[in-house]
Amino acid sequence: MPDLPKKKVGIVSCSGEELPEGTVTRLAALKVLEQLRPADTVTICLPLFLAGGEGDRAFAKFYPTIAIDGCDKRCAARGTEMYSGKPAASIVISELVAERGLGKPEGKRRLNEAGQQVVDATAGQVAELVDELLQKNWNRTAGAVEETAAPEVQEAVQATCSCGSGIPVQDIVINGQTVTLIALPLIFQQFRDSGKPALPDTIRELLESVKIYNPIPPGEEDAYAASLSREYAAFCEQPGAVK
Amino acid sequence: MTGPTQKVIIVPCSGIGKPYGSVSRAAAYEVTEDLRPGQTQLVPLALLVLGDEESRSVVAACPAVTIDGCKLACAAKMVQQSGGTIAQEFAVLDVYRRYKDLKPQGIAELNEGGQKLARVLAEEVTVVVDGLITGKQGGENA
Repeated sequence: MPDLPKKKVGIVSCSGEELPEGTVTRLAALKVLEQLRPADTVTICLPLFLAGGEGDRAFAKFYPTIAIDGCDKRCAARGTEMYSGKPAASIVISELVAERGLGKPEGKRRLNEAGQQVVDATAGQVAELVDELLQKNWNRTAGAVEETAAPEVQEAVQATCSCGSGIPVQDIVINGQTVTLIALPLIFQQFRDSGKPALPDTIRELLESVKIYNPIPPGEEDAYAASLSREYAAFCEQPGAVK
Repeated sequence: MTGPTQKVIIVPCSGIGKPYGSVSRAAAYEVTEDLRPGQTQLVPLALLVLGDEESRSVVAACPAVTIDGCKLACAAKMVQQSGGTIAQEFAVLDVYRRYKDLKPQGIAELNEGGQKLARVLAEEVTVVVDGLITGKQGGENA
């Protein structure tokens, strides 16, 4: 049975090449992804929001995202918001350095000692934000709070990006409008593999699963249910379906 | 763009999820800081994503060499979307296929193979830069 993607937090760094602070964003993101919270975080290259596909642009809608920027141009935060979704949190290195009275990072290719300290401080703050966001049930609309156990110490891994892998999406017509639903192909697959027929009880359950990943406007649940019923019935008619 | 140019823009992808992205970044620094500092300018991809006017103007005015770490070719796509002219697209993977002994590993810190691959790539970029500066190579889209 295919699993729906585990709840994780997305990290998007500006990786700006022209400032040491850009290198700090990159190394801090990698420290979180590889050492501090490898099981709870994913990343994507910022340009993929433009250069990639619909699945890439769904990244910040699907994952609560932390943007890490080197300077007040805030390319990562603004770019993520423009093309994907509003970041759940945002850090600007130049502001963090000033707030904490840290030394100025120097060396774009190889950071000085102050730069390394800023990397550590930034990564620590991002890890705290990850923990906070994981304790909230990020339902892509309200962000309802759901307490979870304290994070475990995690084994280090090498970071991998979500570039090109994308979040599966599917367009369906609801009330005459085409709506892109995040994760719908995986949800359909999971329901079908569980032997659930396209009956009213299943459609109600399906609607609840869809709501986890997609905002459904007030008063439109019946229309969504009708469309999902139609689409799921068609999905179940495909080869390999459980009748 | 057929005559000589005074400046060549270097745009690496700086991809964060694979060592090849780190190689692109390291190679760009080698070219713009060590090998041809006076003839090249590094333009951060993030600024092009944001549509930064100054960066778009620079890219529009000078031929660009892009260095991409994966087939998604973000750097090349963004330069094109920003109205720039790509003189040459480099793919780190293509260079690695020619130098199989230089396997890049590590993203935060490249291993020795990755650093050497970046150096080789930077030297190849430099050949293109020299051609553009002397006018012996056109600035046609690759």
